[in-house]
Amino acid sequence: MTRLLAQTRKELTQLTRDRLAVALVLVLPLMQLTLMGNSFSLIVHDLPIVVQDFDGSKSSRELIEAFRASQTFQIIVWPTDRSPDEAFSKGSARGAVIIPEHFGRDIARGVDAQVQIVLDGSDANTAKLVSANAGGVARSFNATHGAVGTPQPVRTAVRFWYNPSLSSKRFYGPGLMVMSISMFPPLLATLAMAREGERKTILQVFVSNVSAHEFLLGKILAFMIVTLGEVALLLAFQFVFFGAHLAGDPTPFLVATLLYAFCVAAFGTMVGVFIPNQAAAMQAVMFGGFLLVFMLSGLMFPLSNIPSGLRWLSNFVWGRYYIEIVRDMFLQGAGWPAVWWKVLAIAGIGATFYGGTWRRMRRMQLEV
Amino acid sequence: MLSRLFSHRMRALIVKELSHMKRDRRIMMSLVMPPLLQLMLFGTVMSPDVANVQLGIVDSSQSPESRELVAALSQSGSFVLRSVYYSADALGDDLSKGTIAAGVVISPSFARDLHTGRPTTVQVLLNAVNANTAAISQGYVQGVVQNFNQTIQIDTHQVAGTGAGRRGFAILRPTLLFNPGGVTTWFIVTGLLGSLLIMNGSMTASTTMVKEREAGTLEQLLMTPSKISEIIIAKIAPSFAMLTVTGLVGVAVVGLYFDVPFRGSAWLLVVASALCLLCGIGMGTAMATLTKSATQAQLATFFITPPLMSLSGAMTPAEAMPVWMRPFTVLNPVYHFGVISRATMIKGSGISDLWPNMLALVVFALVLMSVSVWRFRRQLN
Repeated sequence: MTRLLAQTRKELTQLTRDRLAVALVLVLPLMQLTLMGNSFSLIVHDLPIVVQDFDGSKSSRELIEAFRASQTFQIIVWPTDRSPDEAFSKGSARGAVIIPEHFGRDIARGVDAQVQIVLDGSDANTAKLVSANAGGVARSFNATHGAVGTPQPVRTAVRFWYNPSLSSKRFYGPGLMVMSISMFPPLLATLAMAREGERKTILQVFVSNVSAHEFLLGKILAFMIVTLGEVALLLAFQFVFFGAHLAGDPTPFLVATLLYAFCVAAFGTMVGVFIPNQAAAMQAVMFGGFLLVFMLSGLMFPLSNIPSGLRWLSNFVWGRYYIEIVRDMFLQGAGWPAVWWKVLAIAGIGATFYGGTWRRMRRMQLEV
Repeated sequence: MLSRLFSHRMRALIVKELSHMKRDRRIMMSLVMPPLLQLMLFGTVMSPDVANVQLGIVDSSQSPESRELVAALSQSGSFVLRSVYYSADALGDDLSKGTIAAGVVISPSFARDLHTGRPTTVQVLLNAVNANTAAISQGYVQGVVQNFNQTIQIDTHQVAGTGAGRRGFAILRPTLLFNPGGVTTWFIVTGLLGSLLIMNGSMTASTTMVKEREAGTLEQLLMTPSKISEIIIAKIAPSFAMLTVTGLVGVAVVGLYFDVPFRGSAWLLVVASALCLLCGIGMGTAMATLTKSATQAQLATFFITPPLMSLSGAMTPAEAMPVWMRPFTVLNPVYHFGVISRATMIKGSGISDLWPNMLALVVFALVLMSVSVWRFRRQLN
């Protein structure tokens, strides 16, 4: 145990001497969270759309007002003798609302009037979102101005659970935190381990009386401490700036955090043991820590959208389970019944990483 | 200038760089394969589509009308009926576990209200953890309910014959221009192409520059009669040529593999890609002068990638950014490339619409290249 702790202390001392590494651990995650947490969002606002009013009646102006009142749109009044296509190809507008002639007269007469809304499909998701929003605008217009005497028989009362303000930050914040701790601590761990291999200092370890378990666990413990420090920093940041708050029992999160810290530190160490070359090992960690965790974990987009030929891979991506646990604590709050198996999955993957590293390490000792 | 470009010294230097490349097959591979694989993987995996939303239902009314609404929801193509519950609490439990993403609760008085002509309310519960999915699902539900309302009204009109005294509805007819199928991939791959070109360009440039210094052969190179600018150009030209090929293949992947239409001028896109590559190479060269080893150069890219990606509007629309952030996109070449590639490919816009973005790319390429030459020269003196 003393030997293990000595190893940990050596590792941490070495780390604090490298200024670039310290910046990588402390500054970069915060920078990533601030930039990406704020910019990753699909919910557009103040989207410029042109309005062509061929009617010019009181009703049509009221409809335009209804669009203007919505935060999604920014209305540009467009003359009726110019085609809205001009605005599209320049990119100065992303949609067009075309109110037909006799719109007001038709509504007053009890005839349904068709309003065309043309959307720039080059961003299809925004187009769908905007079309859903425009539907809401039309419904509220109908409820107040049209259709007097025949109320809509079925109304919907929509409740947005867990995130009533539809804040994207609260969704992406936890994911970005997991991405950071899946990237940087294993990166440092792998650099430290690959350096030992490159400079052959590992031979000194082999001839000393430190066992493979002590050596590896000492190293892993050091990078677990780094990971936990980073988690604390990022959590504090989210509570202060991202409006995060606990939605449920935090114990699954606490247990999972310890296990996840072990998992990523073991992953970094494993890569460093298998690839004793800093540049190559770094690329391998980037593949695992960044590409896999960014792409196949549901961080940005729902996992169900991944074609099934690739989706099964996400079952092996450690970050995926942790993201789901963190989101559960911050948003849904279902607690242990929903996430217990995800905690076990993290433990399982971590143990696999450690087991692989230890076997490799022992074989290396025998070879030397 | 042109004669200098093709001088003997220049040719000798380029031959030297090419033989470096030829000897190290890994560089050749790393110039072509990773960007294309990344483009294909990212484009396949990243999709904000909202389809097959798992739906749970509590139908306390158990009437033909309520069943019709349930059928309308589950046949809309956007929802998949996952399970039916007997209480709203049970539905809420599954919503929090994540087994269903949307719940519809129909009250016991649903059919009675409809028959007596009173308005009735259907409760729609959405798991809004993912705001985009929730907002779009809401649109889907309300679209289905609106259609349902219209069919009911047609029925009641026919029965009661009360057309008079009613006011008309404003009915929206949404049309998706340029992309009637609403394929979300088109947006992402056209934006990603630019960021991949810049990032791979900077990565290649910084590793080739650092390599010479790590090997300690840079001094030897300086002893030769070649000028510093010649050394730099000779270093950049081969990787620029290789990466341009990569860019062309990337455009082909976007067009052929992802089926993005090609409605505008291909030349515009090729020029924009080349400018993006120059920006990346300039960035990488400048970065290489600041770092001592390949490992450090690689670590330094971590500081550049987050702002480059997040202020680009490449993966998520720039219109969704907070207001204070949006002006920064103007300083990002990836943003301008995204605007150009989307407009030329999908919308068929020409240079008359896109010249401001093109101009911005030219300026960035010039500035970044001059900064890198200046840094390089200063470091050597």
